[in-house]
Amino acid sequence: MITKLSHTTLFVTDQDKAHDFYVNKLGFTVKTDARMTNGFRWLTVSPPEQPNIEIALLSPLHEGMSYDEETRKAFKYLLDKNALGAGVLYTPDCRATYEELKAKGVVFKCEPREQFYGIEAVITDSCGNWFSMTQPKEM
Amino acid sequence: MLTNKDLYPRIVASKNFIDQNYYKLLRLEDISREACISCYHFHRLFTCTYGKTPHEYLTLKRLHHAKILLQQEGISIKDICFNVGFESIASFSLLFRKRNGYAPQYYRNLAYFKNKLLKEQPARFIPHCIIENMAGK
Repeated sequence: MITKLSHTTLFVTDQDKAHDFYVNKLGFTVKTDARMTNGFRWLTVSPPEQPNIEIALLSPLHEGMSYDEETRKAFKYLLDKNALGAGVLYTPDCRATYEELKAKGVVFKCEPREQFYGIEAVITDSCGNWFSMTQPKEM
Repeated sequence: MLTNKDLYPRIVASKNFIDQNYYKLLRLEDISREACISCYHFHRLFTCTYGKTPHEYLTLKRLHHAKILLQQEGISIKDICFNVGFESIASFSLLFRKRNGYAPQYYRNLAYFKNKLLKEQPARFIPHCIIENMAGK
């Protein structure tokens, strides 16, 4: 019986840049930052109120990864196009979080707008991914 | 959610004020002044926006920074307590334990051993299947 999701991977173009975005801008917490001698870096972060889920920020473009050149190119192409990603981040107040993150230099693909399920803005991590940032409507 | 959208920048400014001054003695009047709103309305608007009272948010901020400092060596728990804005070790320890489930010293010990292991045996922290399939030689 599987009861929980404990880890998931988010591919990013650059782990240092991703660390800055998720930790310094979004306020996530670093759970593990392990570096192996071959350069592989296992960097995981958790949302402030979800310490039991770890998001591994892995860069397929990094030399420590075992991907061949063709795979790296494919990842780079997709990340540069922002074709990957698409998750949903919860916020108790979309407009307040939008104001706060915009002031921190976070890039939005879409400003907060009313949807039938709540208020949603679209946020980018500048590392190849985008997310819906949603304040769900109480149903 | 606030009905008057013009209030958002002011509420956000007050949250940023807490983020930047959490280590100081902050009263509700100091924080609400940043938003140019009376204490009573500010308390209500902040709680409505963030789902926490300003005091709860301030305490969480202090505990978060205490955790970061506890991972460092060379600073006593007493100094950490005062450096992040708590006024007594007893209340700091109590709140830390309530939030995290263990005492500050226990957390410090755990962090010390984890950091030591991370440097010496990083592979112990990485799922083996990830190393086998993703890590280079």
